[in-house]
Amino acid sequence: MSTTERIWEVFRQEDEGDPMVHAGNVNAPDEELAMHYAREFYGRRGESHRLWIVPRDAVTELDDPDLLKPPFDRSHKKPGGYIIKHKLEAAKQRAAGEAGE
Amino acid sequence: MNDADTIQPMNGRPPYEAGDAEAFFTHVGSGGKVEADDWMPDEYRAAVLKFVEMHANSELMGVLPERDWIMRAPTLRRKLALTSKIQDEVGHAQLLYRVAEDLGKPRTAMLQDLLDGKTKFHNVFHYPTRSWADVGIIAWLVDAAAIVSQQALRDSSYAPYARTMKKICWEESVHIMHGRDVVLTMMNGTAAQRGMVQEALDRWWGPLMQMHGPPTDPAKDKDLHWGIKAKNNEQLRQEFLSIYVPRIRELGLRIPDPALRHDETTGRWIYTEPDWAELKSVVTGHGPASQSRLQFRRDSYADTQWVRDALLGPADAAGA
Repeated sequence: MSTTERIWEVFRQEDEGDPMVHAGNVNAPDEELAMHYAREFYGRRGESHRLWIVPRDAVTELDDPDLLKPPFDRSHKKPGGYIIKHKLEAAKQRAAGEAGE
Repeated sequence: MNDADTIQPMNGRPPYEAGDAEAFFTHVGSGGKVEADDWMPDEYRAAVLKFVEMHANSELMGVLPERDWIMRAPTLRRKLALTSKIQDEVGHAQLLYRVAEDLGKPRTAMLQDLLDGKTKFHNVFHYPTRSWADVGIIAWLVDAAAIVSQQALRDSSYAPYARTMKKICWEESVHIMHGRDVVLTMMNGTAAQRGMVQEALDRWWGPLMQMHGPPTDPAKDKDLHWGIKAKNNEQLRQEFLSIYVPRIRELGLRIPDPALRHDETTGRWIYTEPDWAELKSVVTGHGPASQSRLQFRRDSYADTQWVRDALLGPADAAGA
């Protein structure tokens, strides 16, 4: 790759309020041309509300599985980790029994 | 009782370690995805690069037959639509060369190999166009045959390619409607116009049937095995025939293959064996328009050198 080529990652927002979603990337020597390319590839049909153009080397990636997918159960951090159906039934039956006494 | 009160160890490790080719191929073979900066074996990288580069070349060369008709488009709206389609296709080439560049081959080297005839592009772009009906047949049926394979590529194991195909398929669906609209307008016109469409279909049918390539042995097709592509050549051709034979026939067009029929018992289309020798000859640069199209590209590349010089500086632009 030549010295003046630079890769820019493009993020696009489809509508106001939507999340910025990675769209792709462009190869351009400077920010101005990167903006023109991004506009042509990801906005020429009026399909984007906003574009972010970020130099690839400005992106810091964290993909260490020891940090992101540690080998332990993390279900206690998620709503699905709490299975209450049987406990709730038991509690209701107990409460109904107490009320009837 | 499954009440998740105890801490369970889970397997959170990635499915393969850098350098472990066997685990890598198990990963992609079972539907796993690969990103540009993930470790991958050289043979996988080379196979994806070859596939994507050929696709990019096809998008870039594919606009030349259509370009010939911009100035001859019958109405302003048709001219706008055709120009827009050509812009889309060149844009697809740009997106795909970008995917290929990330695999390690510089764009200048890819363009040079294309101009030197060292790399290939799709057979259908090696043929001349004769009438406005060709514009309709190309946009409708060539793009339809292409989208059948492109839709399957949205599941490619190489994730940057799969994501790019989602965007490309979305744009191609517009082209197919544009082409179908051109064909329908002519079929609803005069007998002479219907004759033009039939004549175009007669010429394009052979190349269309060759486009997906000869049937391959799925066990030996490594692109399939590694999930780079999701369907084999014959599956794609059968899919194309299932959707488009009825749509062609309902307009009163005749498909120029007397053997073509749907076998109800096997559920497959039977057809005259496509001319595989012609396919091989055409894609290696011996098609009726191969050399004139490549020469056009070479001249165009030389004519636009000043743009690359202005943007990149003469030293960079010259270095391939």
